[in-house]
Amino acid sequence: MSSFFKKNKSLIVLALLIFLQLFLISLQIPLGAQENYFEKAVFVLFSPVQHGIVSFFESIGGFLKGYISLHDAHVENEKLRQEIFSLSQKNRILRNALEYYKNEEEIETLLGEVYPNILHARVIGIDPSNTFKSVMINRGSLDGIEKNMVILDKFGNLVGRVIGPIAFKEARVQLITDTDCGVSVFTEKNKVLGILSGDGKGSCVLEHIVSTDENVTEGENIYTTGFDSIFPPGINVGRIISITSTSDLFKKIIVNPYFEFRYLDQLAVIRSQALVLF
Amino acid sequence: MRDFIETSVGILIALILYTLFSHISVYLIQAINVFSLLVIYMSSTRNEIYGACVGAVCGLIQDSFSLGVFGVAGIAKTVMGYLTGFVSKRIDISPYTRRFILTFILITIELILWAFLYAFIYTKTLNTGKGVIFIQPLITALLGSTLFPQIRKAVQAISRFRR
Repeated sequence: MSSFFKKNKSLIVLALLIFLQLFLISLQIPLGAQENYFEKAVFVLFSPVQHGIVSFFESIGGFLKGYISLHDAHVENEKLRQEIFSLSQKNRILRNALEYYKNEEEIETLLGEVYPNILHARVIGIDPSNTFKSVMINRGSLDGIEKNMVILDKFGNLVGRVIGPIAFKEARVQLITDTDCGVSVFTEKNKVLGILSGDGKGSCVLEHIVSTDENVTEGENIYTTGFDSIFPPGINVGRIISITSTSDLFKKIIVNPYFEFRYLDQLAVIRSQALVLF
Repeated sequence: MRDFIETSVGILIALILYTLFSHISVYLIQAINVFSLLVIYMSSTRNEIYGACVGAVCGLIQDSFSLGVFGVAGIAKTVMGYLTGFVSKRIDISPYTRRFILTFILITIELILWAFLYAFIYTKTLNTGKGVIFIQPLITALLGSTLFPQIRKAVQAISRFRR
């Protein structure tokens, strides 16, 4: 018996390792999308390493930018000054528009709730197996990050939501381009409701629009409805780029998300679930 | 102890490269699998048991950074690590062409196994990153077979320096 184990030691180790991993896979079945403790432990252990690497290279980059490329600072300052001016103007216009719906006191209360609930975050890692499924951000439970918090890009376009695992200073974000992501949305012109999910290739698909429906057109903008109780209503999601009528019950509608994967660097985490402006 | 330190340093370097690649281009991550390179290097310099263990660890790290089924990349890399250790003990892989062919075949096997498990468990089609993933075995094998002798020389030089 012992000679059998000695002779086949390497095969037994291989079988044990595969069995262990099959066991880990089977553990996930009752948990569904929720991660198991082992996965969370590996994430908590290794995500700070990745965070540290990004911080290290950023500090080197910051040093080089700060000391070697100092001559660009004046140009950048001027650019930022212009951007602040333009944003102040935009803010004023939006406040004026908001006054049609709410009075001054209500607006102050509302905006008072909005500003502290927006947290700046940076992408520190991309999904190594499926690029358009998820990203990792440099904010975690110590920053008050919780599951289902909404993530926007720097222009306020919808990017995704926080899912587990959440480490102390890192968290994973499910992108709207993930095939398992579902967002309740409506079209701009005729307010046609649908469910938006990712196609896993960087675009999205607007689902459950019947083939006979003629109210959806190419080039229309898509916004969140807020019916899913995760994403607040009125957030920019994307634009319809193609509509194909198939022999199926539903149309095949491809939506190009507004956020650009290549420029997904700085993000905004919406910490309050109830940031409803209208 | 030496093996543990070498593997830990290898994982750290793989993590650094993966992070840098993800900041340069998303397609770079799909074209070059740094964790597979680490598994092949470690397995080819040791044996199949060590290869399977390093494969399991690296695969699970990759899985933890990825949204999907935890353990799929783990199984694929465990098998790849085992096969690398098994073959490299029986065949001399020091000539460049032989090393390249072996690395190419092993990464192709890993990719097929991973895609099969992913499709079987997840019942979803694979994101091929506009076809970039199909050139992963070629690019990774080219890079690996070129770098492995240099890495081995560097590791030996460090060992001599420590003595």
